Amino acid sequence: MPAESAPILAVTAVCKRFGGLLALDCVSFEVQPGEIFSVIGPNGAGKTTLFSCLVGAVHPTSGNVRFRNEDLAGLRNDQIVTRGLVRTHQIVKPFRDMTVADNVRVGVLYGKLRLRGAKARERVDEVLGRTQLAHRASVKAGVLSIGELKRLEIARALATGPEVLCLDEVMGGLNPAEIQQAMALVRALRDSGLTILMIEHHVHAVAGLSDRLVVLNFGKKIAEGRPGEVLRDPAVVAAYLGDETKEEARA
Amino acid sequence: MQKLVIVALNSLLAAGLYATMSYGLAVIYGVMRIINLAHAGLMMLAAYATWALNDRFSLDPFLSIVIVAPAFFLIGMALYATLIRWLPRSSTGPSMQSLLLLFGVWLVLQNLAYAIWGGDTQSILTPYTMESVSFLGGRFGVPQIGVFVVGIVSLVGLNLVLRRTFLGKAIRAVTQNRDAAMLSGVNAGRIAAVAFGIGTAFAAMAGSMLSTLYAFTPDFGRSFLLKAFCIIVLGGMESFTGVAVGALVLAFIENFASAYTSIPVSFQDAISFTLLVVVLVAAPGGLPGLWRLLDRRVVAR
Amino acid sequence: MTALLRRHPALLPGLVFAALLLLAPVLADRGTQNDLWNMAFFVVLAAAWNLLGGFAGQVSLGYSAFVGIGAYTTVLLAQAGWSPWLTLPVGAALAAAFSVVVGLPTFRLRGPYFTIATIGVGEAVRVIASGLEFTGGSSGLRMPPGTFDFTANYYAMVGLALATLALVAWLQQHAFGLALEAIRQDIDGAEALGVNSTRAKLQAHAISSALVAVAGGLFATNFQYISPGSVFDFRLSLTIVLMPIVGGMGTLTGPVLGAMLFSYLQIKLLASPALRDSYLFIYGGLLIVVMLFEPRGIMGLWERLWSKLPRRRTSAIAEAHGAG
Repeated sequence: MPAESAPILAVTAVCKRFGGLLALDCVSFEVQPGEIFSVIGPNGAGKTTLFSCLVGAVHPTSGNVRFRNEDLAGLRNDQIVTRGLVRTHQIVKPFRDMTVADNVRVGVLYGKLRLRGAKARERVDEVLGRTQLAHRASVKAGVLSIGELKRLEIARALATGPEVLCLDEVMGGLNPAEIQQAMALVRALRDSGLTILMIEHHVHAVAGLSDRLVVLNFGKKIAEGRPGEVLRDPAVVAAYLGDETKEEARA
Repeated sequence: MQKLVIVALNSLLAAGLYATMSYGLAVIYGVMRIINLAHAGLMMLAAYATWALNDRFSLDPFLSIVIVAPAFFLIGMALYATLIRWLPRSSTGPSMQSLLLLFGVWLVLQNLAYAIWGGDTQSILTPYTMESVSFLGGRFGVPQIGVFVVGIVSLVGLNLVLRRTFLGKAIRAVTQNRDAAMLSGVNAGRIAAVAFGIGTAFAAMAGSMLSTLYAFTPDFGRSFLLKAFCIIVLGGMESFTGVAVGALVLAFIENFASAYTSIPVSFQDAISFTLLVVVLVAAPGGLPGLWRLLDRRVVAR
Repeated sequence: MTALLRRHPALLPGLVFAALLLLAPVLADRGTQNDLWNMAFFVVLAAAWNLLGGFAGQVSLGYSAFVGIGAYTTVLLAQAGWSPWLTLPVGAALAAAFSVVVGLPTFRLRGPYFTIATIGVGEAVRVIASGLEFTGGSSGLRMPPGTFDFTANYYAMVGLALATLALVAWLQQHAFGLALEAIRQDIDGAEALGVNSTRAKLQAHAISSALVAVAGGLFATNFQYISPGSVFDFRLSLTIVLMPIVGGMGTLTGPVLGAMLFSYLQIKLLASPALRDSYLFIYGGLLIVVMLFEPRGIMGLWERLWSKLPRRRTSAIAEAHGAG
């Protein structure tokens, strides 16, 4: 029997409590290398908190995260990034007073690759090219449009040279044409060897891109599997529709 | 054991002053998320004002609080209207801009004092300055007791205002959630002005009280300011009960140190500065934060 | 050559400035040289502080501690027989070590809380220095005789100032400078891209404190007498901070402008007793005005005026049109 390839990311029983609020309740799943793996669920389900736990921005109250079979417990955000696991932020916050190129340069200099000199400059150009920002390279990040800002956020994370890229709602606020562009980018990134985790609300994008996905509701995992199965699961449908039904009842 | 009781009582007396001093800072921080470095200058200025009233009109320092506190309330509101109001509001907590601006105000106040009263050390001498009362084997100075009484009265008064009056409720609302308060019809700008006035008035009260206990120069105030920071950080920046507890804790540590160790008095300031740094770093949520942490450890499944 | 100048517009005036300073002992009288020495001293303090305070955004109000460490190390070792020049690296190393000790706990604090902690640290250091025996207590210490040579002192301080500016400029252009800038603008964002912010802050603190300590050592050599009041003073910490703030934090020329302004102010203040008593008004007033109207100081004002010129506006429009 062929050996199963080891998961690149293994999340085991991760819980996160903020004071009285249980944001994540014993969430477990594994991500295989080269997958596009989505995390979906209604608002407030704990998805962004999950990403924060993965990259060390926040420490899980219990449970652990293993990246390439290394336990990430206690590691800082920057330490995890230099190991190859990075994320984008849902609310984009570029370094406003820096140029687009310099924003990307930070990741190139300090991420996993730690390039310097000419190699660093090449990588900056390469990343800007892949995210269609090359023509904005010397513009201050504060004047970019929302679509460009989202691409910059991806570019910054990409610049660090990760193996696993966690994208947090990169399609939020984009028009249909931009969404298509974003989907193409995600596929291109995976094809170039990255493993992608995605938080997304656009169900079509999720269905079209993901190999597998996991559904969170109130911090708990309620489904996991291929898009076809999961999106038809009555519990999943109920979780999403649950919000709507309550709203209708109140109206 | 008796010594411990005396130390405890001395701490209680000192805590009254410390709490008054710290409430001024806490109110302003709570409503505006501004760290008022000018607090030290205002305390100092009030001490001088009290001294001037005592020198010119032989007015008892405790009685002069009735004049000084309201006067400084108005000064506080004026400061807000001319300077503070223009500062951009930062959503991520206190801004360096406000910190440095108020620092500048402090420097100006210092110079004002130098200009009016010179740099000589001043102190107030009243018939009861040297009097003390015997209790449980210890001697407690009359000024200390007076300060404590004034402190308690003003704190109870503040508490009543905060809990019973509309103004007080508005202040607490803005402290907890500015936007929600505004949506409920609270004029946040006006509340901020009043809060700044209250904070200044409390600084002034503390200054008057300090003038009865210590000699002072225009440079006076820095060590008390640092103590006040220590207290509000210890007490958890946004909890008023916390401030009272923090004041007690600091007062107790200081009195304990001077009674049971041989650390010279001049180094005691270094103790409170170090404590400030330690608390800021190790327990940023102050005592309430520590309490929550403990609580979670005990209750965790 | 022109490409180099375009990339570094401050280079030409900088070189002229440097040349003038270096030629001063030949061209100017002793009084002017003294004033220039003072200015160079301030340039070192302001530019070094700016590394942590302006570029990284961590405003420390306790830098006089490092001046004092440098000054006292030089005097004490010189009294023990060392050549004053050899004492400088020792002072620098001690200051850097102390900066790490202070930095490790305090860099966990953000913005204003860090600043308040530094006030506390500075005060604690002053209190302790005034109380200790071997530092001569509050009456201070004197350099041993035969250690004064004005021309050497002059070149040493000017050399230090130019070296500091060169070092800061170099750091600003390279990776380290970018990391500090990122930390200032968004520390969480920087860490999310792999920047070890604590290590960068500690490094900036160590480098700047070492430079400041060397300046302190040169101060001791030039004035031959130091006391806690002269080197551990809060007023000095204040001046050190005001120079880059007024001049423009986070720029290369800002601290230099601030240093020039404050050394000029100091000359005027010392000359007139009336003004001397008003220095707090002036410092406080400056701080208030700057914070209210142009927090980015003189350089910020310059940039604001410059961007209003027609030439700049057209290129901004061109940039906006370039949007995809």
